[in-house]
Amino acid sequence: MITSKKSGRSLLIVFLFLSSSLIYAQQNINLNGFVRNYTALSYKNGDMTMLQNTLNLDFNLTGDKTALKANPMVYLYGIDSLDLRLREIYLDLYFNSIDLRIGKQQIVWGKADGVFITDIVSPLNLTEFLLPDFDEIRVGVYAAKADFYFGNSTIEAIWKPVFAGNELPGPGSIWYKPPEFPAPVTFDHSKEKIKPSLDNSEFYLKYSFSSSAIDFDLMGAYTWDQTPSMYIEKQIAPDSTGHPVLAGLLITPQHNRLYVAGGSFTSTIKSFVIRGEAAYYNGKYFQTKDPQAPGMLVEKNYLHYVVGLDYGVGNLKLSTQFIQKYIMDYDDLMKDDEIMNTMTFLARYDAMRETLHLELFSYIGLNYGDALIRPKVTYDFSDGFSILLGSNIFVGDEQGMFGRYRDNSMIYTKLKYSF
Amino acid sequence: MKTLKLTLVSAIIILISGFTSTAFAQSKLTAREIVDKAYNLPTGDDMTSNLTMTLINKNGDERVRKIKQFSRDFGKVEKKIMFFISPADVRNTSFMDWSYDDPGKSDDMWIYLPALKKVKRISSDSKSDYFMGSDFTYDDLGDRKVDDDTHKLLKEETIDGVKYYVIESTPKDPDYMYSKTITWIREDNFVGLKKEFYDEDGELLKVLHIKKVENIGGFLTRTQSEMDNVQKNHKTIIKLENVKYNTGIPASKFSERMMMRGI
Repeated sequence: MITSKKSGRSLLIVFLFLSSSLIYAQQNINLNGFVRNYTALSYKNGDMTMLQNTLNLDFNLTGDKTALKANPMVYLYGIDSLDLRLREIYLDLYFNSIDLRIGKQQIVWGKADGVFITDIVSPLNLTEFLLPDFDEIRVGVYAAKADFYFGNSTIEAIWKPVFAGNELPGPGSIWYKPPEFPAPVTFDHSKEKIKPSLDNSEFYLKYSFSSSAIDFDLMGAYTWDQTPSMYIEKQIAPDSTGHPVLAGLLITPQHNRLYVAGGSFTSTIKSFVIRGEAAYYNGKYFQTKDPQAPGMLVEKNYLHYVVGLDYGVGNLKLSTQFIQKYIMDYDDLMKDDEIMNTMTFLARYDAMRETLHLELFSYIGLNYGDALIRPKVTYDFSDGFSILLGSNIFVGDEQGMFGRYRDNSMIYTKLKYSF
Repeated sequence: MKTLKLTLVSAIIILISGFTSTAFAQSKLTAREIVDKAYNLPTGDDMTSNLTMTLINKNGDERVRKIKQFSRDFGKVEKKIMFFISPADVRNTSFMDWSYDDPGKSDDMWIYLPALKKVKRISSDSKSDYFMGSDFTYDDLGDRKVDDDTHKLLKEETIDGVKYYVIESTPKDPDYMYSKTITWIREDNFVGLKKEFYDEDGELLKVLHIKKVENIGGFLTRTQSEMDNVQKNHKTIIKLENVKYNTGIPASKFSERMMMRGI
């Protein structure tokens, strides 16, 4: 939630932006968006776990050489809890072979669906786990982006001076699942913020090639880990008999620098579309049980990759992906698994002249046999108005990243009017 | 006066093509040659148009889809890019197709989904899919390759004083969604004006009627057509407006960059 002062400032920015747009606009002003009601009920106890009304406004002003965009989004939770977000606000400049985009923007990289491997420029809003639509799960970042086009190739360079990390659920949320600690915990958030500066900037570079046979890209990044590492300091005090015992834990979340190199590709083989994406992460800190490790953390490199296959027959679309995360130079005291395997499946069927859509999407954790299963039915009642009935079902072992939320299975509806 | 001149020029073009085609007819064209001429009518080096699709169900309810499209012939490859304007929930979606003359080479197709901010490559088998819920498949909207089918001249027929070749085309791919099509092609200018589509069981599925042909910039252009699904009793009307030929669309228009930027 943001404060009313912050809301007012955001509204003022939008107002100034739109005013200037209207003054200088030649033509091509578009206002689109949607209004949506999202209601969810818990399977476990019938509690209303979500009551959200959303207004999304998408202002665009386009010309031959420039474009402006502002995308404010207002979420109303319950009756009066307001959350205003300015998801994007940026200026585009178009030259013959160069495009520049400056401002707050969402940047999407990679070829995988629902998995974030080279797609690391925009952080994620994980306050509702992975459930929001993927365009809403990404957080806009302040950045200057330049795309250089030559032949079938593109080089994209990004300078991100203001750090933004993943947004994680806090205490009180049904998605907040802290680990169990052997002693009382206190948090020190003083080192979590990163001051905007040239030294603290993030830099990303991508080369893309598109052709009849294959599309591929290669990327590199000098970035921050978007999820903070938890430095744990043990606080020892004597007990009533004078023996030293563990009295508490001081946890200091802190972001660390990461170097990332990777790439992705997509191609067609007969009726199949084959996709792949991989990245090597250098400098990640993982939790360890080793009592000698400073902060109970150990630095390791890891490989994260996905291969996927899409197939369509008539109105039925099928897609599957295999994802693996492999920690190099692993030691047995680490809390994470050395190899983490996950799969995704998607089946989608369009009926009634593409007005009725049946979809089943699932993540399956192969290490612990847990899963998130997401069936949904969407009916386009009229042009722009859709009704969705769906369910998010968490099953399996509580140690798995999906099984741990098995009390959060829900049924939900979304009514959406696009304009 | 200018309109009169244009009409006159158009009449002359049609008249000339009529004479030419009569001469071809007299030389007993094969079915394949007739289809080849129909498929290869001059269409200019590039074309821009606004396309409106009206989907009408059996109750008469209408849904409207609007698209801006650009196409350009690069010799061995024809490239097309479409930008979806309405309805609102698909606005700014774009679709790009590169279609090759080489009969052994499948089309390359990409779709840009603004919600995902991502251009996705899709299988060219999608050409058998219905386009935006209409009665037209992607294949129906483009020109099928002549040698994808075996053609047979069934008869010559005169309707309202106009002579037509009636051609039956059977796909070489036994798994293709139509078992055959029958096309009525005018003998005087090789414009197809009616086409029947038969399903896998050989039953009549759809009938395409060309309702309006206009001469635009010297090119015969089908500006209004209607596809009736006779089995499900719904139909789709397509109208082309603001048609422009040879405006010099740059090659860079047909790229992922433009798919993402939009119109």
